[in-house]
Amino acid sequence: MIGRARTLPFLALFALIAGSRITSQQEGGEGGSPPAAQEAEGAETRKDDEKDAKYFAIVGADVYTGTGAILRGATLLARNGKITEIGYDVVVPDGAEELEARGLRVYPGLIALGATSRVSTGVTAVERAGGGREWEQPEPEVEIRWDGLLPVPVPREDPSHVTGEDPPEPFQAEEEGEEKKSEIEDTFDPFNPFLVLALATGITTVQQSSAAVKLKRYEIDGVLLGDRHLASIPWDLGNPSGIKSTRDKFAKAAEYQRALRAWRERNDKDQKEPSKRGVDTTANRVLTGDALAHFRASRREELLGIARFAQEHGFRPVIEGCEEGWTVADELGRAGAYAILTPRHRMPKEERFVRAGGASIENAALLHRSGVQVAVRPDSTTIDMIGTAGRDLLALPVEAGFAVRGGLPDEAALAAMTIVPARVLGIDHRVGSLAPGKDCDAIVTDGDILHYQTFVQYAVVDGKLVYDKEKEIYFAHIRPRPKPPAPEAAAEEPMGEAELEKAGAGEKEEKEEGEEEDESSGEDEKKPDDGDE
Amino acid sequence: MLTLLTLLPGVLLQAPARAGGDALAIRVKRAETVGQGPVEHALILVADGKIVAIGEDLPVERGIPVLDRPEWVATPGLVNAHTRAGGERGGGRAFEPHLLATPEIDPRNDVWEELLELGVTTLGYYPDGSGIPGQAVALRPHGKRVQDMLVAAPAYLKIHLQASASSKKALRDAFQKVDEYEEKVAKEREKWEKEQEKKKKSSKSSTKKEDEKKEEKKDEPKPEEKKGGALAQEEEKKDEKKDEKTSDVFVPPVPDEKVKPFLDLRRKALTALMSIRKAADYLHLLDVVEDEEDVQWNLQFPLGDDGDLYEVAQRIGEKKLLVVTAPEITLQTNSLRERNIPAELVRAGARLALTPRFDTVQGHKDWLPDVGRLIGQGLAREAALAAVTLEAARALGLEKELGSLEKDKRADIVFWSGDPFEPSSVVRAVMLGGEFVVEEKE
Repeated sequence: MIGRARTLPFLALFALIAGSRITSQQEGGEGGSPPAAQEAEGAETRKDDEKDAKYFAIVGADVYTGTGAILRGATLLARNGKITEIGYDVVVPDGAEELEARGLRVYPGLIALGATSRVSTGVTAVERAGGGREWEQPEPEVEIRWDGLLPVPVPREDPSHVTGEDPPEPFQAEEEGEEKKSEIEDTFDPFNPFLVLALATGITTVQQSSAAVKLKRYEIDGVLLGDRHLASIPWDLGNPSGIKSTRDKFAKAAEYQRALRAWRERNDKDQKEPSKRGVDTTANRVLTGDALAHFRASRREELLGIARFAQEHGFRPVIEGCEEGWTVADELGRAGAYAILTPRHRMPKEERFVRAGGASIENAALLHRSGVQVAVRPDSTTIDMIGTAGRDLLALPVEAGFAVRGGLPDEAALAAMTIVPARVLGIDHRVGSLAPGKDCDAIVTDGDILHYQTFVQYAVVDGKLVYDKEKEIYFAHIRPRPKPPAPEAAAEEPMGEAELEKAGAGEKEEKEEGEEEDESSGEDEKKPDDGDE
Repeated sequence: MLTLLTLLPGVLLQAPARAGGDALAIRVKRAETVGQGPVEHALILVADGKIVAIGEDLPVERGIPVLDRPEWVATPGLVNAHTRAGGERGGGRAFEPHLLATPEIDPRNDVWEELLELGVTTLGYYPDGSGIPGQAVALRPHGKRVQDMLVAAPAYLKIHLQASASSKKALRDAFQKVDEYEEKVAKEREKWEKEQEKKKKSSKSSTKKEDEKKEEKKDEPKPEEKKGGALAQEEEKKDEKKDEKTSDVFVPPVPDEKVKPFLDLRRKALTALMSIRKAADYLHLLDVVEDEEDVQWNLQFPLGDDGDLYEVAQRIGEKKLLVVTAPEITLQTNSLRERNIPAELVRAGARLALTPRFDTVQGHKDWLPDVGRLIGQGLAREAALAAVTLEAARALGLEKELGSLEKDKRADIVFWSGDPFEPSSVVRAVMLGGEFVVEEKE
């Protein structure tokens, strides 16, 4: 039962990825073919391209592709910002920029969901003088909290001034044909220090409001990766009429879709195209697959409602919060849901219910086991200058580490910061894993990304080195970069004791992870999802 | 130097004759010419409000009065290209590119006299407000009427650009309106030419056959080149004088007053001063204006503690842009590392003009000592001198008239008691257009 329900969406996803692969190949003029093969093709125009082509190679690192595969001591080659090859006998062309990374690890660049504009423009909307947004709306003054079965309105303390976060985006009823495009291309600040800090954490892409933004440094071209892929849908048990209105909108949009399909099948010229009037564009976009429905919900009842509603209409919901998701994990899995979790969030169980409830450290693990695609976001998605460190955007890997503590496999925890958020944002054809044809957004670390002690040594965006720990002022003074292991030819030279120990420790770690390696040999996109049974 | 010396006797002979007897020679310890480096034991010959000659120990013709001041150091009059001294701050977000700053100037304001006493001889007075608030004017801080004070109006179009969608859109739209206007002009011209042809045909039938042949020959280049067309038009004028007088020359439609400044930018009749605040703004500015190849623009930014403009200093230098900024040592973001951004810009190849750090009389007092501090921290001295004189004049489009002590330039000269960058140095006298407006003090 579970298996069947899950395969369908995966097939669709696979088709999507395959399709996007092809387009990326067409655009870049580059597939997985090695440079040698290109030369053999030998068209003269190609040669001109070749002159301008910029190669970038990360040499000798353990490459964690983010799709399950780990290639030890491999080389990753990128051409004009796109990955062309990952492997062992990669020919690095002359003039390529080489990054020596023996003894280090390469991961796909991390993707931070819901980041504030501080990262991409240096200031948050609150800090911005005059408020940069025209559509700014007053926030509701009360918040519905749950007191047992009864919803209780509680005056809302404005969180935006306390945390420096962007005010939450109001649900926008979209007017037909009128699309508010992200302004990030006109506001992006590639020099702001918060961006450097994000890169130092390994984050190379952030979601900002509706847009997916690539953290390019020194330049502003091509920062917008995707826009408006998430459509936020209200679903709050404290506001039953809101739920009803959502249901009505989707019912109407579904009716319209059915009518449209019937009209197309009949192909009758005399008949008019069904009218779009009164059809909610957001609901329509979700049903046609142009957008993912994004819910914020924590309680079991809400989650169940969303899961069933999504199945009814055949779309995959994205549920942020999802604290009690572990109690209805199989339902959510059946609905093909994505969950955006903050594993360190705490929420008490409602003691007057008999049923299980409250937050659990196992939440991510249980959801993952049931086939829910888990993404992780830290408690605060800005970069805090005051307060307690370790809960803001710079703690993204630590947050994922907490999910691992609760039983989530390492691989799934990496996916929760890379490919799953990429899918949620609709940019998985560009970023989120390391594969030929994808953007060369990678980070090089001195250890396991999920370990609190690990530092990002280099960050690469679009095949350009944008962060080097030793050259930036933030962490250069903490623990020098580990020296690459001596090449095999010179292995006869006596090694220092410390180095020997280190090498030994490294091997041990590798052996532990080697088990996973065997299972996952291909660079298969769907790998992280069919992990545990 | 040698050429100057050899040329000089001739000049000296001619000068008094031309000057009608009001020539004056000033002998000083050193003249910082800016154009040709320092000249020791310099003699500056001034006549008709202009510098006639300058050189080391030049002989002076009998009859020309010589002011012997062997302890003075002469520099060109200081130029502050970006000031609102004496004006009020304020003005919100605006799009008023057609407005001049002239009405804001009050000749009775005491500030002019005070600035003049500090050696400031030219000011670029800009209209305040964010967005595109208007056009700056160049003025000298001396005169009883605004007309007496004006040196150039407009001096530049002031444009604020920041990394925001609305700011970029305003500028983009402005240039787009110019495109629309130019399209309109092209259409009208076409229409007008067609009408002309019609008329010609009708006139042809009435005139003699010989004339027709002539006309046909002259018509040939018309569609290809404007100049050829103009010739033909002149020819047509003669013919059509009989019929109609009104449409014999093509009159393009008058552009909207808010479009015209941008049209002038494209036609190089006006330069723009682009005000930005941070490095990212520069990239966004390029994003908007990089396609506008004909538009000449300079850059202006304030330097604050959070200034990250060192990030783009190299790129600005590569473009050889003229940058107007303040003599400020800033800290690198999130650190205590001092950055001398003006010096970095000069090293990268940019032109540099410096304004006082604060736009007050006291700010102007501290101006040169502040610049001196930058020199102490790595700014080349020649570049520093040019930054307060010649390059600042360039920002106002006046580099050919003033800003250095050179032959035929306006005699705006400041005489100092010593090195102008030395905090203990004071202004001894100021000459404005050949006249001492600040007299020698003891």
